[in-house]
Amino acid sequence: MSNTLFEKIWDSHIVVDEDGRSLLYVDRHLVHEVTSPQAFEGLRLNARKVRRPDLTFATMDHNVPTSDRSLPILDQTSSMQIKTLERNCKEFGITLFDINSPNQGIVHVIGPELGITLPGTTIVCGDSHTSTHGAFGALAFGIGTSDVEHVLATQCIMMEKPKTFEIKIQGKRKNPHAVTAKDIILSIIRKIGTAGGTGTVIEYRGEAISELTMEQRMTICNMSIEAGARAGLIAPDEKTYQYLNGLKYTPENYDECVNNWREHLKTDSGAKFDKSFTLSAENIVPQVSWGTNPAMTSDVTERVPFPDEYGRGNPEEEKGVTKALQYMDLKSGTPITDIIIDRVFIGSCTNARLEDLIEASKVVKGKKVLSRVRAMVVPGSQLVKKNAEMMGLDKIFKDAGFEWRESGCSMCLGMNPDILAKGERCASTSNRNFEGRQGSGGRTHLVSPVMAAAAAINGHFVDVRELDLN
Amino acid sequence: MKGSVIKYEQDNIDTDVILPGPYLKIHDYAELATHAMEGLDKDFHKRVKSGDFIVAGKNFGCGSSREHAPIALSYSGIRAVLALSFARIFYRNAVDGAFLLPIEIDDSAYKDISDSDSLEVDISKNEIKNLTKNKIYKIKPFPELIGKIIEAGGLFNYKP
Repeated sequence: MSNTLFEKIWDSHIVVDEDGRSLLYVDRHLVHEVTSPQAFEGLRLNARKVRRPDLTFATMDHNVPTSDRSLPILDQTSSMQIKTLERNCKEFGITLFDINSPNQGIVHVIGPELGITLPGTTIVCGDSHTSTHGAFGALAFGIGTSDVEHVLATQCIMMEKPKTFEIKIQGKRKNPHAVTAKDIILSIIRKIGTAGGTGTVIEYRGEAISELTMEQRMTICNMSIEAGARAGLIAPDEKTYQYLNGLKYTPENYDECVNNWREHLKTDSGAKFDKSFTLSAENIVPQVSWGTNPAMTSDVTERVPFPDEYGRGNPEEEKGVTKALQYMDLKSGTPITDIIIDRVFIGSCTNARLEDLIEASKVVKGKKVLSRVRAMVVPGSQLVKKNAEMMGLDKIFKDAGFEWRESGCSMCLGMNPDILAKGERCASTSNRNFEGRQGSGGRTHLVSPVMAAAAAINGHFVDVRELDLN
Repeated sequence: MKGSVIKYEQDNIDTDVILPGPYLKIHDYAELATHAMEGLDKDFHKRVKSGDFIVAGKNFGCGSSREHAPIALSYSGIRAVLALSFARIFYRNAVDGAFLLPIEIDDSAYKDISDSDSLEVDISKNEIKNLTKNKIYKIKPFPELIGKIIEAGGLFNYKP
């Protein structure tokens, strides 16, 4: 029988399968400070232990300050959450990469870079962007705190089987330095909508996906949740196996693992998906979101849409656009490249890996951030930061006027002091442009790292295809 | 369940407006409730009464996995959200902790129900009675697993 990659991983993890429910074994559980305190408290109240502390890894990323780590944390509630995670990990015997660890970072950046994320595994985390790990052919679900407690206690998760959704990106991007993985995923979400993937696991396929590096594939899978999907997957290949070779937690019998993965971890020819969508990579250009959800995105060459033109006769859509444009303080018909920005954020689990910083640095090198713009780079992990510094990227960014900060989620979700002021407009490499996401009243435009870097220099969006990025 | 409607005629009401990020540090559920819907409706906590229903459009609860979102609504008094569709993590979080019922309604019910209408929701009959308008709407039955978790009163009470 022909099966999809998803079905193979799903089937191989079933513990119980009956009455419309599947109990799945969880191979890796990633934990952070914000969605775990009540889960540990629940264990304590019921005198339960963590079933597999050896398969559970924790870090603190959501509310950690990205300024000088030698200073005390001023926000008492953040400090408390961080201390609580330390105490919980100690009590339950869980490996923790704490705020001073050289391996601290955004949970979805450190999982792969430490080799915790492996092909064919099931991974869960109390964070919606867990879909990121699907770039390695891992079935990775974001879950809430009750499920976190359930997984801590049982190492299993109870789910209904999702449907399968094939997204095929054919052909090649015309200018791969200017048209990035971020532009591919934003183009997809734009077309299928924020609920286009609801109840499904997406498998991204096609030439334009295969040619992506591992870090670029993570950007794609990361935003699967922005299309409503339960998870995103990309079949592992030689790039995947090379990436994971020799990392901190790479298995000792790695060659054997790889042989096994090579044989099994692919969608069989003839396997049927419940749903399919195809897009041509050749037509994708740099993307800029203008609204308050990631589907409200345009080509950089376009104008801010008119509600009736965007809604195409759907009054709900029209209303949504009108409301979004009001919040974003944008006028229909304005060229995207005329949008003036105040802040730039290069960071988040979507786009804060080494390659993202390398690409952005090419735009920035030898130039200056426009004087009225405040721009910051927040590396995704301490390891990313260290590697970038070894390449001198910190110097390039700092010389240009960027702030170079410690790793964490930072301004992606506005839980630490890195937030937008009311009315500020930000070119952001993060994943959500929801109202107030980066700070109450803040306005977010989702873009790629090169687009964000170019906006910092120019003070408005520019078509990065016009720049020399090679 | 009887209660009155607070209607938001919009799609994609995300978890960041249901419970904005800065409040994820709050562990006291009653305090969390004072910030429910703050990103969308600053007056929500003044208006909401115990037993009320939220009525909304498509893809309610999209975005983050924060269980704080259904918790904040639940502790505000919301017993059910009646929406055209739900984002899946929110949907699951809502029933896992027995915080509220995520009920899918169809387009005609969505259009027909007005703000402040009195409703009676009966999930055993998959039915909503609009007491103000004297009408009955069908609700989409829960998927099997979700129905069982609801029946048990949450994930931890569910014993297959």
